[in-house]
This record gives sequence, structure tokens and C-alpha cells, in this order.
Amino acid sequence: MPSWSSHLLTEYFTAVNAAADETAAIASAVERATEMVEAEVGAVVREGRIFGAYGFGPVVPEAQLHEVAAGQPLLEVPYVGELHAVSNPLGAETGDALIVARLSEPFDPAERQMLQGMGQVLGLALRSIRVLAAERHLRAEKERQASTAQTRQRLVESLLTIQRAISARRPLPEILDAVTGGAAELLGGATVTLVLAEGGPDRRLTVASKCGDGTTPPESLARAAMAGGAVVVRPDGAGWMIAAPVRVTGEMAGSLVAHLPGVGGQQTEQRDQLAAFAQQVSLALTDARTVEAVREAHHDPITGLPNRALFLKILNRVLASRVTLADPTSVLFIDLDRFKAVNDSLGHDAGDQLLALVARRLRGCVRASDTTARLGGDEFAALLHDSPPEAAEVVGERIVAAIKEPFRVAGREVFIGASVGIAISREAEQSSEELLHNADVAMYRAKKDGPSRVLLYQPYMHAEALDRLSLRGDLQRALREGEFRLQYQPLVRLADGDAAGVEALIRWESPTRGFVSPVDFIPIAEEFGLIVEIGQWVLETSAVQVARWRRDFPDLGLNVNVSGHQLVHPRFADNVMRALAIAGLPSSAVTLELTESVLMSEPDLGKAALHQLRGLGVQLSIDDFGTGYSSLAYLRELPVDELKIDRAFIARAELTAEDLALVRTIVELAQILGLRVVAEGIENAAQLAALRGLGCGYGQGYHLCRPVDPEAVPEQLARAQVESPVGVLDHRSTA
Amino acid sequence: MQTNPHRWFGVGQSVAPRSRKAGAEAAAEAIGGREAKAVLVFASSSHDLPELLAGVRLEAGPDAEIVGATTMGELGSAGVTDGGVAVAALGGDGFTVQARVAQISRSDPRAAGAAAAEALRGLDDENQVLIVLADGLSGQPHEIVRGAYSAIGASVPLVGGFAADDRKFDKTFQFYGTEVLSGAVVGLALGSDGPIGMGVAHGWRRTEPPMIVTKSSGPHIYQLDGEPALDVLLRRNNFEGSAEEFFDRGRSLQPLGLSRRSGEDIRVIHAGDDEARSVWGTADVPQGALVWLMEGDRQALIDGAAWSCTEAMARLEGMPPLGVLAFDCGGRRAGLIEGGLEQEMQAMRTALSDAPFAGFYTHGEIARVRGALGTHHLTLVTLALA
Repeated sequence: MPSWSSHLLTEYFTAVNAAADETAAIASAVERATEMVEAEVGAVVREGRIFGAYGFGPVVPEAQLHEVAAGQPLLEVPYVGELHAVSNPLGAETGDALIVARLSEPFDPAERQMLQGMGQVLGLALRSIRVLAAERHLRAEKERQASTAQTRQRLVESLLTIQRAISARRPLPEILDAVTGGAAELLGGATVTLVLAEGGPDRRLTVASKCGDGTTPPESLARAAMAGGAVVVRPDGAGWMIAAPVRVTGEMAGSLVAHLPGVGGQQTEQRDQLAAFAQQVSLALTDARTVEAVREAHHDPITGLPNRALFLKILNRVLASRVTLADPTSVLFIDLDRFKAVNDSLGHDAGDQLLALVARRLRGCVRASDTTARLGGDEFAALLHDSPPEAAEVVGERIVAAIKEPFRVAGREVFIGASVGIAISREAEQSSEELLHNADVAMYRAKKDGPSRVLLYQPYMHAEALDRLSLRGDLQRALREGEFRLQYQPLVRLADGDAAGVEALIRWESPTRGFVSPVDFIPIAEEFGLIVEIGQWVLETSAVQVARWRRDFPDLGLNVNVSGHQLVHPRFADNVMRALAIAGLPSSAVTLELTESVLMSEPDLGKAALHQLRGLGVQLSIDDFGTGYSSLAYLRELPVDELKIDRAFIARAELTAEDLALVRTIVELAQILGLRVVAEGIENAAQLAALRGLGCGYGQGYHLCRPVDPEAVPEQLARAQVESPVGVLDHRSTA
Repeated sequence: MQTNPHRWFGVGQSVAPRSRKAGAEAAAEAIGGREAKAVLVFASSSHDLPELLAGVRLEAGPDAEIVGATTMGELGSAGVTDGGVAVAALGGDGFTVQARVAQISRSDPRAAGAAAAEALRGLDDENQVLIVLADGLSGQPHEIVRGAYSAIGASVPLVGGFAADDRKFDKTFQFYGTEVLSGAVVGLALGSDGPIGMGVAHGWRRTEPPMIVTKSSGPHIYQLDGEPALDVLLRRNNFEGSAEEFFDRGRSLQPLGLSRRSGEDIRVIHAGDDEARSVWGTADVPQGALVWLMEGDRQALIDGAAWSCTEAMARLEGMPPLGVLAFDCGGRRAGLIEGGLEQEMQAMRTALSDAPFAGFYTHGEIARVRGALGTHHLTLVTLALA
């Protein structure tokens, strides 16, 4: 590729990826590409339509452009002439393409190659914009839910104030005024009126309390709410009227009516809020000391089930009243699978609706004398009296089966699942909290084994939970006592089989636990903040080691994995440079590997440190590349030098067409950006051949070299130079 | 001088201090008693511009299209002037002209380019060109030209220049009839039954090593190779002192060349900020671009001028030129001080076989013959008519 074209690619890449939407990205890409190859005209064919046509003037020859997309090398443009055209696919599967056409001379191979790259960059950018747009939509939805949550919080606070007034036995008019006042405030200045039916045969309605100076609502509306026993919403001029029924000990007693002037849209939320206040009125009117009032205070408003506090009270009472230990009490801890997905995708209201339906099914799975409760979120519990383990397990299975059946929520079928943990009370002194906790532990363990399982609590599960805590202590000791060691796996240049570098891999041989896989202990180290120290140890140790090997293999590089937790450490860059300085290893020999997921979850994470390190010569690699979405975004923002293609795309016995297409795209993208590509997990000769064929520069994997102890590394490096598993040099390979 | 030619072109210049007189004098010389169809006026912003245009209108008559722009110096067959006026006029049955004007909106500079290109509507002459004269301080010259190009497409060439205001970088003006506008784009569509030729050349060369624009926004460059841009320019010029001192000296204008398929696309950097350590010119310098500091010795620049003229002439299908419009970058003057300007004019006269020419020193040149890119800097753009 001649130098001018590679110079332009960065500029093109930056411009295209800076576009905020698809139209802008296409326009930017077409104009840049057209100008850069000194073509006259350009356009994009996408999903069968022409976009961003540039340089044609008022009449765009759409049919001819479609022909170019289909392979026709010439484009007739009115009043300009017959132009040399080239179509550059935006991706492997579709017929979408970036087209440019030039009058003066045909495009040479280097230009075609650059334009192919431009097409792919545009394709990736467009896909990335779609994903980002979807993400943005999700985020907006989340923000909306957050604001709903805030309103709910205010509602709860307001209701609590009224409840305190009720329980403090404040005068009734004062409580009723607090209800209408609270409702008016929450509904943003609505006029709220409480009308109550008097005794007597005609049940005349009178205004008991009113807040706001709007009109008194029509009697008919209040009566409609009372007659139907449900909230009534009616448009009123530019606004809405909402009426919620008020009951006293189950009997219809009146209505709470709100007038919301000049409010548009759905009144779902206001309706629910008003209904909640109406309930408070009911409470106030009923004797606060009645069982009914207690019930309201201890029940989950969404499902009508007892809440956690009440469940524990009942459980306590049951445990205390047991006559013999022979009649065991079982506690089932039920956790819904995929509830969050439903809540996130269909909205909070749908989520609430689903919870109510789940509650109804749960009640259907137990005897009338048993208690079911909603503990919070998507967690439920059931208390089974006189129920041996076997019977409890049967109930658990029944629950799992019942929840598996589809629910109809917000007009569509929703599929969720449940995991159930069971704890049986055996000891006389067992507390209700402990029993529930054990059921929780069993549920956690059940979930780990897969969805829709029922598991009976065993003491070992408790130990397992404790184990995570003790692992932390062991990790601290391992650091202190030097139980960690390193192995090294060469990164092999596929063109000649030489080892270009080694990746340092941590190993832990615990005296008490035996060999512990990094997959198991790294997350714990991250969770407990030990990763920074461990990461630093790896860097320091490997830097010293590689500096020593470089006496014999002067070009040897070092790859070290870096955790996101290290990256945000304020002294990260200093720590890296200090380790290299002590070891005497030049910064240019070091490549830090970051996983794509870390970069994706926190795009701004440690960016400053990475730029600082890059400025000092340290190189940056993206590990597991291809597993995330917004790859392009951070490739633009971060000073990346190397991409490691995730083993998931390679480590199959036979690579599929999709695998190859993806790998090819990554390799080409890397070539465009001037990055190294390392294929991970090469396990057989077929994979190796395929990757070399695609022009992948470097590889790692068992087929090339397993991770080895440091003592064996020099021998491996020397052997690699003599006889390589890469074999004969393939002319298509690029370094 | 012909009396009733089928196509004619004339030029005139004036350094008269009184604006009305200067306008009338230069226009009279250019028109030479013929019936002008279009009059192009290039004048220093130091003139009383409405007065100057009134003088031009007096000579041009009520029907001639008058278009023009303020300058960083005027040029013509008679030489280079500062604070003066240069006029080109054309007429005859073989030419068709039509003018349009549009104000530049900050949020959509393209629309103005497209609207000015409307001047071409209805023209059906065999040869056509759109002459664009635009405000040179909008900060988005490329977008204006892209707007014009997207409207007319590749079938018609584009030529012209961005207005300047001597060296004040404060406010530039465009002329449309006798109106004096600012922040505007004026389009003059010219149709002819004779050939039209264009030439573009610069005469600068790269100074190694190149640099990456690591941070920029519009025409502002903040970092080159990750280092504050002003520091880089001062260091590469072995200059110690403030930005103001640097850009006020003779070498003040710093041409940067963006790597392009057939050479460099040049940007002129004319100012810097000591606090922000940034520098800027009048056109976009895209982030991520590879740029060279450009240098040019006098001879190379003069050769560039000759080459531009020769190229334009070569496209006249062997016919002798009636005359030439010239859009010369203000930045080129920096390399041609102390007698170089006269040499440049002499080179142009020779290359044009003494055909009359007039034009101005710009804030950027417009030329699109092939390809899609139409904005240039530090070039001499010539439009030859036959």
C-alpha cells in the first residue's frame, strides 16, 4: 500500500467513527473516500437502496449504481462520462457496498485494497452505531425507570408520614387532610378531593377533605369508582380526572378524586399513586389497631403477599410453637431466573404484573395453611408446616414447573424460571433468620448448577460459601509466602515460526488447596482488591525474567495481562514503569493485555494511564478481541498496538465459514490500522494453516507451544528458531 | 481592441485613494467601452466598498452582473497592489452569465454552497464553470465547497477564492451587484461556446519528518505528535518567543501539507495562542491526518505560478487565451517578498503570452476539475477563457 493511502486511512477512520448517526457516517465515508482517491462520485448501496450519493448533481443514476454493486466495473454518469467504478463490500454477508468512481484512470490494486478497507470500516461503524443506538435506547429506558423509582420513593415517604399520623392516633380530619395534601403534592399540583358516603338509604356524598383550588369533581365520577370498585380515569378538557375507591373494612365508603389539568399522555402512574393514597384513607378510617391495618403494613403491595419482616415473624412463631422436633418446618427460598430481562425489556409495570402473577402461582403450589412471601426483588419464600424434606422437595419441583409455564404479561408470552433452595429446621434452637439464610445458600448453590433446579441445604454448602472468604485469606498468604509462580507461553510469528515474545501466565500451587486455576482465584482477587498486588508481582517477576532472556534473544517481547482493577489504580502507570526500570527491560518490549470486556464495561477506564504508558513506549493489546460489540469505538480512542483474536473463534476442530469471515475481518481491520494480530488457542495444524492463509501475523496455542516453566523457556526459544511447527513459509503470510 | 467581438475579456486596476474613483477607473479600463455581461471586482477591505461598487456600476451599466470579494492584495497584468482594486470584465454573445448569493449558516455551511451553485440553473452552454467567491473566515471552507459540489456534481468545474481582509483576519466582504455582504457565498455561473481551462499548482515541498495531528478541532490544531502544536512549530523553526512575535515575522505563515494521492493538500497556519499552545488557520485540519511542514524557495513558487498558467492554457484546445482569472493564495506572498511578487507576475505574463489577467490574493482557493476535492491553499488557481 503506498504511503499516502495508509496516511489517509487514519483520517478516514476518525471521521467516519466520529459520526453520530448512520446518515452522517455514510455521508462522511462517501465524501472522504471520494476525495481521497480523487474520484468524482461516490455512494453507498445498503439494503437495496442508495444512500449518500455524492458528486452526481441533481440526478443520481440509481440503477447503474446497483449494477456497480453487483460487479459492473464502469459507471455512466450523465454529462461526465464513463467512470471507472469499484464496489467495496461493507461486510461479508450482505450486498451492501461503498462505491466510488473515477474518470481519469482505473483504481490500482493498492487503491482497491484501501477502498476495501474503507468499506469494511464503514460497515463496522454502521453496525457499531446500531448497537450504540440500541444501548442508548436501553439507557434512556433505565433512566426513565430510575425516575419512576424516585417518584415511588417519594410516594413511600409520603405514605409513611400518613401512616405515622394514623398510628399516632392523630385526629381523623388532620389525617385526611394529610392524605389529600400528600396526593396533591405528589401529583404535581393537582386538586385532590376526598368524598365520603354518609350513612342512610341514599348514601349522599360529602367532601371530607380537599387540597387545591380546582373545581369539585362531579359526583358521577366518584360514584363510578365506588360502583366498579376500581380506579376510573376520565379525560376532562385539557387534563384528566382520576377517581380511586375508598373502602372501610371491605365496604365501599367513598372516593379519592384528583383533577390534573393540562396533563397529557397515559395516567398509569398517577392512577397507581392515587390508589395508594386511597388505601391510606381506608386505613385511617378503619381502626388503625385492627388486624387489617397490620396486614397492610406488612404486605407487599405488588403481590399482596407478606413481606420479609412478616414472613420472619410468622416463621419465628411457628418455630417457637413446635411441640416436637419430629414435625419439621421447611423453608423454600425461591429466586426467579431471567426476571431482570423481562423487567428491563418490557418495563417496570410489566415486571410488577409478572411478580403478581408469580405470587398467584406460588400460592397455588402450597397448602392454604402454608405461608408464601415476597422477600424483595425477584425473591420469594414459602414456609411449609410439618413438612419432611421429601415433601418439601416435591413442592419445590412443583413450583419450578409452575413458574416454567409461560406468563402472559403486557400482551405477550413471557418465559421465566425459578431456582429453589430448601432448608429444614432440625435443631430446637434454630433462628428464623438462620433457616432462611440456609435456604438462600442452597438456592445459590442450585443456581450455580444451572437453571430450574431444586436443592436441599447441606452443611457443606455453608462451608462452600465460607470458602470464598477463606480463599481470600489464602490469596493474601500466597502473596506473602511466594506461592505464586509464572509460566510462559511463546507468541509465535506465523511467517517463520520464531517466538516474537512470551506471555506471562500466573500459576498458584496452594499447599492446602493444590493447584488453583486463575479462572477461580482471579475473580476473588479482584473482588477483594488483591489483584493490584498480584498483578504487580507478575509484572515485576516477568520483567526481570524476560530482561535476562533478552541477552540471548534480544528481540524477545513480554505480554502481561492487566486487570481493570489495576488500570484504575492511580499509580498504575508509575508502577509499570518502576517495574520495568528495576528489571532493566525497555518499555517497547512490553505489551499490556486488556480484555475487551474491561474496555467495554468502562470505556474511560484508565484511559489516561494507558495513553501515558503508550507515550512511554509500552504497547497495548486487546485480549479476547471479537467477543464484544463496540470494538471500533475504543480502537479509535485507545492507543492499541495488538489484537488477540479470542480462542472461541479458533479453537474448534474445524473452523466454520463464519469463524473464518470474522477472523478475516479482524485481520484486515488490523492491517488497515497497522496493528499486530495474534490468534489464540491454535490447537491443530488445520487451524494454523487456515490462520496463516488469512494473513494472521502471530499465534499462540498448544499446537505451537504449551505454557512452560521459566527453566524450559530458553530451550523452547532456541528450538523455535531451528525447527518450527509452522513449517514451510507461506508466501501469503504477513508479519 | 475589437469593437463587437463574439467573446471578450478585459482587466483593469487602480490604486486611486478615493474609492468611487478607484472602482470606476479600474472598471472603465476593463470594460473598454464594450457592453459588459459580468464584472468581477477584487478590492482591499480598506476601501469604502459601497462607494467603490457604485463607481463600478457607473461604468458597467445596469444589466451587468457584478460579483467580487475583498483581498489580501490584488493582482493583474499591471502588477500587484495593496489597498487597491483589480477588475475583470467579460461580455459578448458567446458568454452567458448568471449570479446567485447565499448567507453562510454556522450550523449548515453546505447549504450556502449549494444555494450559490443554483447560479448554474438553466445554463445550457457547451462549456460551463461555476466561479465561487466566499467569506474566508467562516472556518468551514471545505464544507461550503462540498455543498456546491454536491449540488452540481462532477459535470461542471468549480473555481474561485475565499475573501480576505488584508492581514487583519477580522471580517471579509463579498460583492453581489452593489451590495456589500459578509458571511456570504457568491456564485457566478459562466457559460461559453469557447473552451475553458483551469490550472492548479503550488510549488511547495515537504520538510521531513511528517507529524500526526493528534488533537484538532476545525481549523484549530492543538497537538502534533502528542505535543502542543505551537511548541512544535516554534521548535521546528528554531524560534524562541511568543506566538504573536512568531506569526508577525516574515516567516509567519506556516504551510502544512496533508498527505494526498497526488501530492499535498495544503493548509496555512497564520496564528497561535501562547496559553493554549495551539495554532490555527482558516480551514479544517482533520484529527488523525499526517502532515508535513512545507517549505518553498522563491524559484519553486514562481515555477508553480508558471505551471498553473501553462496548465490552464493547455486546456484551451489550442485557442489563444482571451484572458485569465487568477486566485493566488495570500500565503504564497510570504515566500515571495522582496521582489518575488514582481517575478511571479512576470512569470505569469510570459506563461500567458501576455493575455490579460486579474485576480486576488485569497484566504484559500477553490478549484475542482477532476476528483471531488475543491478547496486548496497556497496554490495559484487560474481560469483561462478563450
